[in-house]
Amino acid sequence: MKKTVFLITACAVVFLASAVISVVMLNAPSGDIVKIKSDGELLYTIDLSKSPNKTIVVEYNGKKNTLEIKDHKIRVLEADCPDKVCVNAGWLDSTAIPIICLPNKLIIEYENNDADAAAR
Amino acid sequence: MRKFVVIFVCCILFFCGCADSAHESASDISAAQSDNVSLHTAELFAMDTYMALKAYCADDKPLNSAQAIIEMLEKELSVTLPDSDISRLNNAQGEKIELNCDCVELIKNALDLCERTNGALDITIYPILREWGFTTGDYKIPTPENIRSLLTNVNYSAVWAAENSIQLPSGYMIDLGAVAKGYTSDKIISLFKENGITSAIISLGGNVHALGSKPDGSAWKIALTDPNLPQTYIGNLEIVDKAVITSGSYERYFTGDDGTRYCHIISPFDGYPVNNGIASVTVIGDSGVLCDALSTALFVMGKEAAVEHWRKYCDFEMIIITDAGEITVTEGIQSNFSLSRPYEQNKLEVIYR
Repeated sequence: MKKTVFLITACAVVFLASAVISVVMLNAPSGDIVKIKSDGELLYTIDLSKSPNKTIVVEYNGKKNTLEIKDHKIRVLEADCPDKVCVNAGWLDSTAIPIICLPNKLIIEYENNDADAAAR
Repeated sequence: MRKFVVIFVCCILFFCGCADSAHESASDISAAQSDNVSLHTAELFAMDTYMALKAYCADDKPLNSAQAIIEMLEKELSVTLPDSDISRLNNAQGEKIELNCDCVELIKNALDLCERTNGALDITIYPILREWGFTTGDYKIPTPENIRSLLTNVNYSAVWAAENSIQLPSGYMIDLGAVAKGYTSDKIISLFKENGITSAIISLGGNVHALGSKPDGSAWKIALTDPNLPQTYIGNLEIVDKAVITSGSYERYFTGDDGTRYCHIISPFDGYPVNNGIASVTVIGDSGVLCDALSTALFVMGKEAAVEHWRKYCDFEMIIITDAGEITVTEGIQSNFSLSRPYEQNKLEVIYR
């Protein structure tokens, strides 16, 4: 009798534990993958969770944007565009709102978007 | 012990299998609904913004046509391209100018909206906008005398529109910046409809316009930018078949030598950048032109008059966010709007009819 109760309890515990683990596994982000596009052309696809710290220089019509990847985050470190909106945007933070440098036609955005579009 | 490990692994596999089959059946349904229809996208830089088009259709043709529309309208409506129809009109020095029908249609439409908003929207504001440097990037604070004299050439009711021609008084200039992207999105959505598309979403520099719902029947999810922290989103808006257009003081501004921040939305009443505590106005409605025009006009009017306008016309919904982060939502959109997690403590006011 005792053995049956123990077995049922043990099975229940195992069942619940595996249910919880499965949910956690399935909800884990599929990586912090960002896309870097210049004038509509995809230049880089980078998994931020795996990428080492580095800088990338993207050139468009002789104009440069220097991107920095640091501690699994990405930002525009320097740009020779007139408005510096891309630099002032800071680290890419939101999965819904990309970093855009209009003058140099540069886009940095997460691959998996939270929203279908961003209103601004 | 080994038995438990086996059961444990089996359970995990079982749950993973459940999730997988759920994913598959969902995608099966949408595929079945839409035969050989799949997601097609296009991205381009035009009208001084970044545009992204997504449509569920059989091939790229509708997107190519949409890009052609954008390029054509930009050539006609741009105030900075020297050969555009609008530039021809602005350089006409009081002469009547014949224009193609898109241009005349939009100008008439815009004049009606100037009238409806009692001049809070005024397409003849351009000489002042230019004086502040917002079209050239050469920002400066004009002298009060300068603004006063330029204001004498700002009055939408002096624009004369005929069947296919427009006449501006000498010294007047118009700018369709407050309506051009809304008009363009209307044109693209009609083009998509003519091509039998039932599911599409476009963003023309953050002016969002959705056709129908997502292929699975659910609403489109739109992230609303926090005007006080433009790299984060303040909330989510769920929409079907609607345009969502925002005007914000954060989009284009400069800080003057006097340390004041001047935004690109200029009040046609006094010629100065609007400074009334509003950080952004988002308008949700059926027509892109209407939403685009109203987002600017309501921003100029201020909150109280904007609410009054909403009560009077009943053809749009709105979300107003102040410099202090207070959010005001109209009744009709309340149930479709949710704050994102970091903003759940912000003050949210709902306006009823």
